[in-house]
Amino acid sequence: MNLRIIGVDFVVSFKGWIRSKGTIFWSIFFPVLLILLFGAIFSGSDSPSYTLQIQDLDDSQSSQMYLDMLKNISILKIEMINASENITDYIQKNDLKGAMVIPKGFGDTIALSHIDKDASVNLSFYFDPSDQGSTSVVRSIIGSSLQEFNLALSKGSHTIGMDSVSTITSNFKYIDFFIPGMIGFTIMQLCIYGSIERNTKYRKDGILRKLLTTPITRTEWLLSKMLFTMFLSLFSTLIACLIGILVWGVVIHVNLWMITIIFATSFLFSGIGMIIGRFVKEEETADTAAGAISFPMMFLAGTFFPLQQMPMFLQEFAKVLPLYYVNEGLRNAMISLDFDKAAYNGIIVIVFALVFFIAGVLLTKWKED
Amino acid sequence: MVDMNVRCPRCGEIVSFSGIPGERRVVSCPSCGTDARLSFPGGEIQTSENTIEVSHLRKVYDDLIAVDDISFNVKKGEIFAFLGPNGAGKTTTVEIIESIRKPTAGSVKLLGKDIKTQFNAVKEYIGILPQEFHSFERLTVRETLVYFSKLYKKQANIDEIITAMDLTEYTKKLYRNLSGGLKQRVGVAISLVNDPDVVFLDEPTTGLDPKARREVWMVIANLRKRGKTVFLTTHYMEEAEFLADHIAIIHKGNIIAEGSLEELIDQYGTGSTMHIKKCKDPMETIDILKEKGYDVLSTGNGDIAVKIPHKERVLEVLSDMRHACIEYENIDIRRSNLEEVFLNLTGAKLAEEK
Ligand SMILES: Nc1ncnc2c1ncn2[C@@H]1O[C@H](COP(=O)(O)OP(=O)(O)O)[C@@H](O)[C@H]1O
Ligand SMILES: [Mg+2]
Repeated sequence: MNLRIIGVDFVVSFKGWIRSKGTIFWSIFFPVLLILLFGAIFSGSDSPSYTLQIQDLDDSQSSQMYLDMLKNISILKIEMINASENITDYIQKNDLKGAMVIPKGFGDTIALSHIDKDASVNLSFYFDPSDQGSTSVVRSIIGSSLQEFNLALSKGSHTIGMDSVSTITSNFKYIDFFIPGMIGFTIMQLCIYGSIERNTKYRKDGILRKLLTTPITRTEWLLSKMLFTMFLSLFSTLIACLIGILVWGVVIHVNLWMITIIFATSFLFSGIGMIIGRFVKEEETADTAAGAISFPMMFLAGTFFPLQQMPMFLQEFAKVLPLYYVNEGLRNAMISLDFDKAAYNGIIVIVFALVFFIAGVLLTKWKED
Repeated sequence: MVDMNVRCPRCGEIVSFSGIPGERRVVSCPSCGTDARLSFPGGEIQTSENTIEVSHLRKVYDDLIAVDDISFNVKKGEIFAFLGPNGAGKTTTVEIIESIRKPTAGSVKLLGKDIKTQFNAVKEYIGILPQEFHSFERLTVRETLVYFSKLYKKQANIDEIITAMDLTEYTKKLYRNLSGGLKQRVGVAISLVNDPDVVFLDEPTTGLDPKARREVWMVIANLRKRGKTVFLTTHYMEEAEFLADHIAIIHKGNIIAEGSLEELIDQYGTGSTMHIKKCKDPMETIDILKEKGYDVLSTGNGDIAVKIPHKERVLEVLSDMRHACIEYENIDIRRSNLEEVFLNLTGAKLAEEK
């Protein structure tokens, strides 16, 4: 191993990079642009929230308790309707999309339910059927809150847990979600396309054949390229973080898991690029193949939008995509500081990286036939 | 590293220089500034007079025999041209010698070393220009040369190469912005950055216009002056005629003829051909000449070709034509060339331009 040669090769990669408008665009301007754009689009509404109007006809301790519970759900904004209003008139007058009424006797029935198992009381939810979207969300939230409430009652406990509901409603803003996704996506693109260029264009142009006859070894070459790739990954991470911090005030935590995931991601997607380059000889075709792999992966792995908004089978499908674990791991490490999950996702990324990179190196044809 | 004590030819000062064994570089006398070219001892790894020895080389792809049991030697200091049409097996052969491909059978000795086991030992002493080579697009000419030279222990003087390859005015240009001919010249220059003993050039002028081709030829001819052994592959017979000391003609994986240009023409050529342009009555002329015992051929447009086995017979033909009162527009006499040698050997044309 000759460190001087590795250094010389690194410098050449660097020069090629800063002189290429295309790669500069994809590694710097594109992420910056998207972060500014998406940040601006979603900056108004932190996370989507819904207003729920409630009329409490009971005004008992139990109804207060239930209201408090609803108020704790951050996705819901509770507004009270005066008990003297006629609810249907009120809805029409104020053009409400939905409203809930806690009937008189709500508290009494609950008290009775401790003795009489069959005692029941129904909340009334008024909604506008033409606005299926938000009312169905609100209804499902109410539904699950009721489950919680019932559960709490039957246990006779006042400590009402809302964990299962509160997962959809983190305290983080969209941009907090977006920046790690953008970092994962950028690294994926840089590594796949860089690796493809080396394995198709350099082969076609005779550069690989030329290098085979010079004293640089395969290990030195690979090491230099991976060092450069890791440098690029760190660099675009830095840019994305800076924009996030300076423009959107995102709080980003730099730690070992974050760096580890970034480096492992570099190896992972470089390996995938090498595998593509092994089977597709033309650079253009290989680029198309890379796009066909990376773009669906970007959408399906929860890069730009939370997976929870997608159908169930797609959420399950995401779990086979390496980028999903990159995105999740980076969010755990950089934003939510959930190191157990960061480690879990990080280790999966490392395993993916080992598998794909080793496969890439083994599959790459260094010599000609 | 070896040290060398030399006496300055101008001021007589004894100066010590150190260099890598086999290195050749220009040094300056510290007291009077006189430049001199020094060759450091050692590093001569070649022992026999043959720089390349190929014996019974074979390369088979599935059911295709790309190279079929060929043997040849390349002598030190010569320009050896491997001449053959597309698909003849030139690149396959040269890349086996360069250890880029593995032979199916046979052996290659390069600079006295068996490439199967000792290729790494000769890397510092060879320089190659692969077929259709394109260097890094976004490096300047100088950066490109510096990059490749830094991969070696033995480094030539870059400025000297730039001057010799006539690249001085392009050193700051990005490789991607160079013309095809310049790219090839840079390619040849890259193959010299380690001051190699042998240079391999695989079709260095394919795809270039005639002017650019000539410029690359000048650069290659320059290599012989620098004492390099050159292995050149080409499908242009003029290129082999212009540059080569020794020519091997390869066809369908076999070497079908080998020797100097003169030897090949003497052995496989058909002497000279007289071309009579625009005969007034071609049919009659052909009959008359055939009667006199000449090998005559109509080449269309009223043109006639007459084979002339010996130079002395040119005058004979002319006087015979005069006696028969044959009228024509003009006459030219062409010596047999490689194209004809190839045609005679294979019954096929050598180079069809795309
Ligand atoms: N990697 C390969 N796989 C299969 N066939 C090959 C391969 N490389 C070359 N060939 C075949 O071997 C023959 C010789 O090719 P090549 O050495 O490139 O010829 P040349 O350089 O003289 O044009 C051709 O018929 C070519 O198609
Ligand atoms: Mg060829």
